[in-house]
Amino acid sequence: MTTIDDLRQTFFEESAEGLDAIDSGLSELTDSPESEETVNAVFRAIHSIKGGAGVFGFSSLVDFAHVFETVLDRLRHGKLSPAPHVVEVLQKANDTLSDLVAMAQSAEAPPDNFDADSRAALKQLIGGEDGEAEDAVAADFGDIDFQPVLAEDTTPPPQRFELAYRPAQPQFDDAYAAVVKALRAVGNVQLQGDVNGVPTLDLYDVKESYLRCAGAIESELGLDELRNIVNAIDSSENWSLTEPDGNAPPDPPLSSDPTPAAEGTPSAPPSAAPDPATAAKARGDASAKQSATTSIRVDLEKIDRVINMVGELVISQTMLGQLFENLGAGTDGRMAQVLEDVFLHTRELKNSVMSMRAQPVRSVFQRMSRLVRELSVKTDKRVRLETFGENTEVDKTVIERLSDPLTHIIRNAMDHGIESAERRRESGKPEEGKITLLADQRSSRIVIEVSDDGAGIDPERVIKKARDNGLIPQEGHLSEDEVNNLIFLPGFSTASGISEISGRGVGMDVVRRNVQELGGRISLKSTFGKGMTIQLALPLTLAVMDGMIVKVASETYVMPIASIVECVRPAASEFQSLLGTRGALRLRGAIVPIVYLSELFELGAASEVTDESTVIIIETSEGVRLGIVVDQLIGHQQVVIKSIEENYGAVPGIAGATILGDGHVAFILDAERLGEFAKYSEHPAARKEQQFLQ
Amino acid sequence: MPNAAALKVLVVDDQFSVRQMTRLALEKIGVRLIHEAANGQEALTKALAQPLDLIISDFNMPEMDGINLLRAVRGHQAIRKTPFILITGRGDRELVVKAAQAGVNNYVVKPFDEATLRQKMEAVLGRIN
Repeated sequence: MTTIDDLRQTFFEESAEGLDAIDSGLSELTDSPESEETVNAVFRAIHSIKGGAGVFGFSSLVDFAHVFETVLDRLRHGKLSPAPHVVEVLQKANDTLSDLVAMAQSAEAPPDNFDADSRAALKQLIGGEDGEAEDAVAADFGDIDFQPVLAEDTTPPPQRFELAYRPAQPQFDDAYAAVVKALRAVGNVQLQGDVNGVPTLDLYDVKESYLRCAGAIESELGLDELRNIVNAIDSSENWSLTEPDGNAPPDPPLSSDPTPAAEGTPSAPPSAAPDPATAAKARGDASAKQSATTSIRVDLEKIDRVINMVGELVISQTMLGQLFENLGAGTDGRMAQVLEDVFLHTRELKNSVMSMRAQPVRSVFQRMSRLVRELSVKTDKRVRLETFGENTEVDKTVIERLSDPLTHIIRNAMDHGIESAERRRESGKPEEGKITLLADQRSSRIVIEVSDDGAGIDPERVIKKARDNGLIPQEGHLSEDEVNNLIFLPGFSTASGISEISGRGVGMDVVRRNVQELGGRISLKSTFGKGMTIQLALPLTLAVMDGMIVKVASETYVMPIASIVECVRPAASEFQSLLGTRGALRLRGAIVPIVYLSELFELGAASEVTDESTVIIIETSEGVRLGIVVDQLIGHQQVVIKSIEENYGAVPGIAGATILGDGHVAFILDAERLGEFAKYSEHPAARKEQQFLQ
Repeated sequence: MPNAAALKVLVVDDQFSVRQMTRLALEKIGVRLIHEAANGQEALTKALAQPLDLIISDFNMPEMDGINLLRAVRGHQAIRKTPFILITGRGDRELVVKAAQAGVNNYVVKPFDEATLRQKMEAVLGRIN
């Protein structure tokens, strides 16, 4: 049973959508100020929030929304133009509105004069008029002379319209009769044939149309409604319906015969039925128009239940496949075919269900544009945010958890990246800084890039800081990439002083952890003095992934396909034993460190290479390549990711677990952590203990 | 004198929450046959599909707003007599004037409770039992 509380909750959900719509509408206005449709959409969204707020009794929200709406109304009627400073005020007003909605939702009363500044700015746009805002509290319009109308009395008097039929070609066919019949059903039709235009026989051309009909219709229907009736049957221009024009009645009628003389035309005689094809087409057009917007609101829990079931289905389907294989040769070929279909359909089903959870990243991007506006004021730096690919869709959970890392990255960019106006002038950059936010889908990952044209990373300062904090040895050379990646290390912070904006004790290491928890990678490119780009690569979904099933000793593991570069089966001579390492593989001239899974997970089997050994080459987000030695490759499979963290805590090197076709549980390997392991593999025993046995 | 339980009412609003609030108010009045539509276009289709005793419609909707829905209803031979109550916001003064010209039966200003709605409905339909 729906309660008012549920409905209030729904109102807040609708408001969130409305606020998003206002925000994106306002940014569109910046680009194309002429768009009437955009202004209307923004107006409607504000109006809806106001209306709903009224119904649920949030009066401070109603009052502010009313002022906001009034300004939009001016804009809508062209009494105000969306100049940049106007749009700026509106964007701030939307920020205020969204704060007010948030306060209403958490049931806190807004502080006194909370919206005063924004309200004053809005009022200034409309010339400080206050009168309408005061009216906002009137619950009824006592001053309007409105009398409620009892039912039955609402019929407007019948109206008279002029009607004419002038066919382009000679035809008084089915469609003509159908139109006349349809019109007679809704009113009083008078039509008269007009033979004035018919020439004498020697001038008569059978391909020409000489006959006309003219008259009038008296109906309670409106002109548009009548035109629709005619057009639904005969969409050509043969018929005309016009408001009566007293001065010039068209084509004075000669004969008083209401139906045209069919004998005079070479066309088929009239019949009562309309042309079925034309009529059907008209109906089709109409229904297509009506179904333009069709969407329903579904509880996320319901979708998640479907996703879970699809996950189970994927497992059952895998089991079925395995059972079939065990049957061996001699089974019916048709069964294999049907099984193949089941696989295809399951995959298709999985993709469609996953797409239900997918949402455009627009909502997160919009939050960022607000953040940039606010920080712009706080830091006194002029910064423009450009966004690309806002329509890229990604799983809702990913979107929800994207906000924190992105906020942090943008705070950093605003605080440390973008320089002050003077500094920018000195280095020959435009005074206005620029931050670019981009989202793009690349195969099974979504890539989000934050770039700024600020100062970039100062390598010397970073190295000094890292040495001071004891993160790297005092001596030794680091590559550019290594230097840039230092900022992701725990305990690193370059901010010279802790500022209000980004210095909250949260470093880039937390950002990296957030991203890794989502199964993503983070990487960074920086050019000192020119700016930097931080790239997040995230999985499209968190529930199902493509994996390679591998066997090591008696255990089965799953390696995410996304991390695999290639699988090789090298000859024993290609393995090299380097002093102080667990070994390396010479691969087309490059040396790739290798990891024995059997040793890593202490499976008790001897860590030595046999002819059966296969090496999976993986690459981590930092570009580290690593060979994982396994005994056997079983095959490629879609696996459903089940978290083990809830029950076991995080296990280094293991990302989760899945259920295989034979019903056994297999662990999913975590390529990132295996990569870290390889990085430190030159300090064998100590590092190993630290990384994996902590 | 219409019987509330026999009244067939169509509630039109693009906002689900407001639509449901209207529905709750109607249910308290005793109306049981409540249909819903999210915009004017959908409302027109539903109104044409079955005889209705009353349409209660918001003004502000995408696709087809309340006034255009009212005009469309009044323009359709089969349903042009359907009583129509427009939901307006506070301050929508001009709208009421426009609606009156288009043949609206009554209007109700948001937010409203069931007593107000009943009173507005009775002004159109007569006393409701």
